[in-house]
Amino acid sequence: MSIDKQDLSPGDPVLAPHPARRPAPGTGGLRALAARLPLLLASAVLAFFVLAAMLPGLLAPYDPLAINPADAFSAPGGGHLLGTDESGRDIYSRIIHGARPSLLIGAAATAIGLGLALVLGTVAGFGGRWLDFGVGRILEVLFALPGLLLALVFIALAGPGVGTTVVAVGLTTAPGYARMIRAQVIALRTSPMVEAATVLGRSRAKILGIHILPNALAPIAVLGTLGLGQAVVWAASLSFLGLGAPPPAPEWGAMLSAGRTYLALAWWMTFFPGLAIVLVAAASTVLSRALKAAGAR
Amino acid sequence: MRHVRPLATRLFPAAAALAAALVLAGCAPATTAPESGNDAGPPVAGGTLVYASGDAEPSCLDPHVGGNYPQALVASQYLETLYTKDAAGTLVPWLAEDSTVSADGLTRTVKIRPGITFTDGTPLDAEAVKANFEHLLDPATASSTGYLALGKIKSMKALDDATLELKLKTPDNALLESFAMPWVAIQSPLALKRSQAENCAAPVGTGPFKVASWKKQDAVNLVRNEDYVQPVATPGHEGAAYLDGITWRFIPEAATRYAALQAGEVHVIDNAQPDTIAAATKLQTIKHLDAPRPGASNRIELNSSKAPFNDAAVREAFIHAVNVNASVDSLFFGTAPRSYSPLSSAEPLAYSAESLFAYDPAKAGELLDAAGWSERDSEGYRTKDGERLSLTFPVSTSQSIPAEQSLFEQMQATAKESGFEIKINLLDLSSWYGELFTNDYNLVSAPYTKVGPSVLAVLFHSDSTIPAPSGYFANLSQVKDPKLDELLDSAGSTQDEAERKELYAQAQKLVLEGHYLLPLYNQQNHFLYAGKLQNVGATTAVATPTFFDAWLAK
Repeated sequence: MSIDKQDLSPGDPVLAPHPARRPAPGTGGLRALAARLPLLLASAVLAFFVLAAMLPGLLAPYDPLAINPADAFSAPGGGHLLGTDESGRDIYSRIIHGARPSLLIGAAATAIGLGLALVLGTVAGFGGRWLDFGVGRILEVLFALPGLLLALVFIALAGPGVGTTVVAVGLTTAPGYARMIRAQVIALRTSPMVEAATVLGRSRAKILGIHILPNALAPIAVLGTLGLGQAVVWAASLSFLGLGAPPPAPEWGAMLSAGRTYLALAWWMTFFPGLAIVLVAAASTVLSRALKAAGAR
Repeated sequence: MRHVRPLATRLFPAAAALAAALVLAGCAPATTAPESGNDAGPPVAGGTLVYASGDAEPSCLDPHVGGNYPQALVASQYLETLYTKDAAGTLVPWLAEDSTVSADGLTRTVKIRPGITFTDGTPLDAEAVKANFEHLLDPATASSTGYLALGKIKSMKALDDATLELKLKTPDNALLESFAMPWVAIQSPLALKRSQAENCAAPVGTGPFKVASWKKQDAVNLVRNEDYVQPVATPGHEGAAYLDGITWRFIPEAATRYAALQAGEVHVIDNAQPDTIAAATKLQTIKHLDAPRPGASNRIELNSSKAPFNDAAVREAFIHAVNVNASVDSLFFGTAPRSYSPLSSAEPLAYSAESLFAYDPAKAGELLDAAGWSERDSEGYRTKDGERLSLTFPVSTSQSIPAEQSLFEQMQATAKESGFEIKINLLDLSSWYGELFTNDYNLVSAPYTKVGPSVLAVLFHSDSTIPAPSGYFANLSQVKDPKLDELLDSAGSTQDEAERKELYAQAQKLVLEGHYLLPLYNQQNHFLYAGKLQNVGATTAVATPTFFDAWLAK
């Protein structure tokens, strides 16, 4: 069988960074810094939100659930950095406290998606023609349905909630990952190193465990980082539709949804939660590109 | 109303239930206060009014079928009722001319107004009205609201062209008020003989407009009834309506609807949101019509059938633990005055008891301590015998506007300080019914629109705890009080207006003092319309606007 996805095979010359795009050695730190700026910013953004997720009390000045109707719809600035919502709750504090559910949902969903994909992709790529055929058709069926629809169907069956959202997003992202992992496994299966191992009489299990999976994992790390941002967006979409954490939990998608009613009156209720989602998604994309480049180097 | 979340997580006999409880969807005082002081000159005929509704598009334009508020809104343009309410809120005959009742209250005679013709040419007579009542009472029609309103009719007979005699099972002093509701509106008997699908697509009535076409998912097109004769002369004009027609559109998203009004794409929007109304009233170009619906106030029912609200002291404590006024002030921008009554302020017999509803956490604490809820768990919630003081609150996202959902969230936060845990579950309509059917709620808010105080019997009589065939029951606080039942029965059958008022006042006092409900405000029914649209303000008995006198300035 031929290698049908070349772009992700490690060590493939096609993927080697183009010499011209490398910063020329010795041309000064400024250009190097400029080249690294996106990565630095992305890392800083993610570090900030991870810190917020782990220790929200450290960053948030207010209780995210404390209401103060008299202080509702306060504009950004003054006592409230990013303004307040319709119940007088501090938007900044709610975004900080919302980092945990948002990132956790994103991370857990990506883990589920990747885990499932790893099994399916490996089975398809390494299990022989018939398994490959079977898994391939299942993936095609899943691909035929729009992702969000798949998630909605799952939530309709299982009932809304954080757990369901995680599984729904995980299930929805799995087919894409599975395809890539399959391609990866097939590429490795026909690589000289595996051929050598086969000639040496290693068992299939050993070949899979020692040669194929470890080598397949590096690109998966890239995919996972990229997927994290995507999963955060998806989770926010479902919360926006009211299918995530119940009120009054501070969840970015739910905040975005609550704010849209008051868009004309209090733009900050929608803008800042939206900004948080965009920042995390963009930062994880930048980071995954950097990881990919580093893996290829 | 409003933003329906499109997911059915559970399948219940939803269709029937939906209809039943959309009765719950609301209504107000009727009629006319065309605003004065505008200098648009004399009325001119012509032009098509574009109306944008935020409600879900009805599945049937005949309000006999099911019977919810969105149907009433559109049907008020092409159907008319036997009775209506005038600008002062007095019940007056409309398609009927007069009505009398026998001394025992068991025989009601209705005189039908002569000289009225349906838009298909059929004359209005006693047989026509009888055919309508039969249509409503026929199970095949699947009427919910109208069926309930006519429930006490045992038999009927057209004595002559102009006289209909109704025999009642028990006296019903609310029957004329029921006749004023669009869900009991009169349609052409000839048209009713068509299949239900045909009649749903284009009901035929006597109104100032008629249904020309209905493009589903888009708009209902109404055209002027050129031969319209107003049954009773009103201060407005005579003859046909000024407008050539009405395009009745559906724009569910509130912000989009308001933007369409600002852009001049539509002339009237309903379900206007509080912040939008506040912003719009500052503009010269947009006007506001506030038409609170009659029947019940918007309120939260406390389910007394199960712990912890089977203890009256805990109900009282809850009412003192939440600060409704602060939330109403900040979320409704002065568009929704607080209510302290089970009835809408549009109901003349509403009884208020403001003193019972003060925000008083100290008192709530004392009551809860005395009731045995004195321990607190690690999260600060009160406990008794290891059980947390927890309340389940299913909220229908299609019946509660965002501001109301925020109000519930604020209640959740203030109640926590007194040790109550409130679990808000945002649900689509059919899941929400599911929670009610399985008695899986401690708190619930359900609108109910009806003309007249007899809505109290629907909401608080022990008979109403028994589910209808659809599975729905309206007595959601599940009050079962023989004394209250007796009051409501007598109030519903007395022919002495003063006694009726007194009995209904006593009944309201009983449910308020029993802490079975927490009144919030009137059922909100706000319309915004373009300044060029003149003479808006007339409404039916259920507060749906009518556009007979309305005209578009150039």
